[in-house]
Amino acid sequence: MISKRIYAAWVGIHFFLIIAVCFAGLFSLVAEGATILPIALDTYARKAELLAAWLLGKQAAVSSPVRRSIATYLHAAGIQSGYTFFAPNIPGSHKLTLELYYQNGRVEYEAPHVSGKAAALRLDSLLDRLADNRYEPLREVVLKMLALSVWRERPDVKKIRATFGSVNLPSVSDFEHGKGESFQPMFSYDFSLRDEEKR
Amino acid sequence: MTALQRWWQGLLEFLFPPETDTWLAVLRIGLGLQVAVYALFLRSDWHYLFSGTGEGLVSRELGEAIASFDSPLIPKLGWLVAFGQHVGLGEETVLSVAWACLLCMGCCLLLGVLCRPAAIIAWFLHLCAAESGGLLAYGADNFMTMALFYLMLSPLPDRYSLDRLLVETKLRDPRLLGFWRRVLQVHLCFVYFFGGMAKCLGSGWWNGSNLWRSLIRPPFNLISPDILVRFKYALPILGISICLIEVGYPVFIWMKKTRFLWLVCILAMHAAIGLTMGMYLFALVMIVLNLAAFGVGIRVPFVRHRGGGTRDSTEFFPKKQLSP
Repeated sequence: MISKRIYAAWVGIHFFLIIAVCFAGLFSLVAEGATILPIALDTYARKAELLAAWLLGKQAAVSSPVRRSIATYLHAAGIQSGYTFFAPNIPGSHKLTLELYYQNGRVEYEAPHVSGKAAALRLDSLLDRLADNRYEPLREVVLKMLALSVWRERPDVKKIRATFGSVNLPSVSDFEHGKGESFQPMFSYDFSLRDEEKR
Repeated sequence: MTALQRWWQGLLEFLFPPETDTWLAVLRIGLGLQVAVYALFLRSDWHYLFSGTGEGLVSRELGEAIASFDSPLIPKLGWLVAFGQHVGLGEETVLSVAWACLLCMGCCLLLGVLCRPAAIIAWFLHLCAAESGGLLAYGADNFMTMALFYLMLSPLPDRYSLDRLLVETKLRDPRLLGFWRRVLQVHLCFVYFFGGMAKCLGSGWWNGSNLWRSLIRPPFNLISPDILVRFKYALPILGISICLIEVGYPVFIWMKKTRFLWLVCILAMHAAIGLTMGMYLFALVMIVLNLAAFGVGIRVPFVRHRGGGTRDSTEFFPKKQLSP
């Protein structure tokens, strides 16, 4: 064996990074006020999250070799994100509805689609991401791409109105009283072939 | 010997326990199956998901730009497409070759042919796909990357591979085999501990509402709410059980008396996630990781065993240190 010390040193660094990533994720949830912990802890959690981010080199300049090296290693090892799946609570799902306006005045309703179930799961994962404030700068671009994917199949469509929103799920008692899920629009965009008009 | 030396010695003993390569065979075969299933599941959508601007669902370039913001050194499918263009291959051909290679590497891992190169290529191609389709990725991709990363670094080939049958190679150092299994075991403990902690911090896991929401939430709503509502009183119990199983994993999986029970509970949880929510890839990779890390050599209660298996925590720490 090369040297137990080298392996032990690698293990130390590897798990240090994993712990930093996990704590960053956990503190982020607390700082957002999404947990059952007292609100007074939010500011401390934000500071702790920044400390964890600093340990991961995220506070350094984008071109910093340290930041890039750590990020490359984290992605290569598949440890770039924490393990807070389905936590602390389950949000509602998100839906994108496309209103297709044809040149002859006809209107159709459609949603972006894929062939397989595995890809459908990924598409839903994308829609859930778009609702996150961190993805706000990308939202319009991604929705435009999703609209374009439907447009390619229907070249005679003149305009597409993309409405993105959340699907509110009923609680157990709501369901027992006959209440189903409801759609809450969040954003709406109009896309046409010549220009894009944001509403 | 000073206290520091004793501690260091104890740490090395913990990190380098002698192991057979059976766990590695389980990891290799399991990940081979996982990679093959991943490729087959995405077969019909592969080009649609990873094509460039104007042809796919969401431009591959967008996902790659996000990954490049973190670091331009993160592998991506764009590298392969650029290389393909250099040798006169179109994007569609390169994507098809990448998909075929991934499926082929999955089959190689499954059979144990060219184990190490297959593990490295599978890791690289899957990482490229996961990063290029970053916006479309989810938890299963991270676990696949992590598992393939450990597999390619582990001392392959194992004794059950065709490589070992075809080419005479010397047996690997049992302590090195033990080291990589230990890394996987400790990593899983962190996964469940932090996952469980985050769940414990949400009120919905204590009253069962999160379990209800996760099962009726599209696209995971495979079971009709009409059936689920009949079990509404079981939901809080199941929700709390999930929190306790995950948070307790780093403790009870190491104890001889509780290891089997904890492993069965965690495997049952992942099987249930796969069957009731349709997250087959996620369920499969987690089951493979758990079986490789703690399943191989486990002592089943009421069954007589020969030696082997993961040792009890008290074997690493002398009993007098544990007592108050």
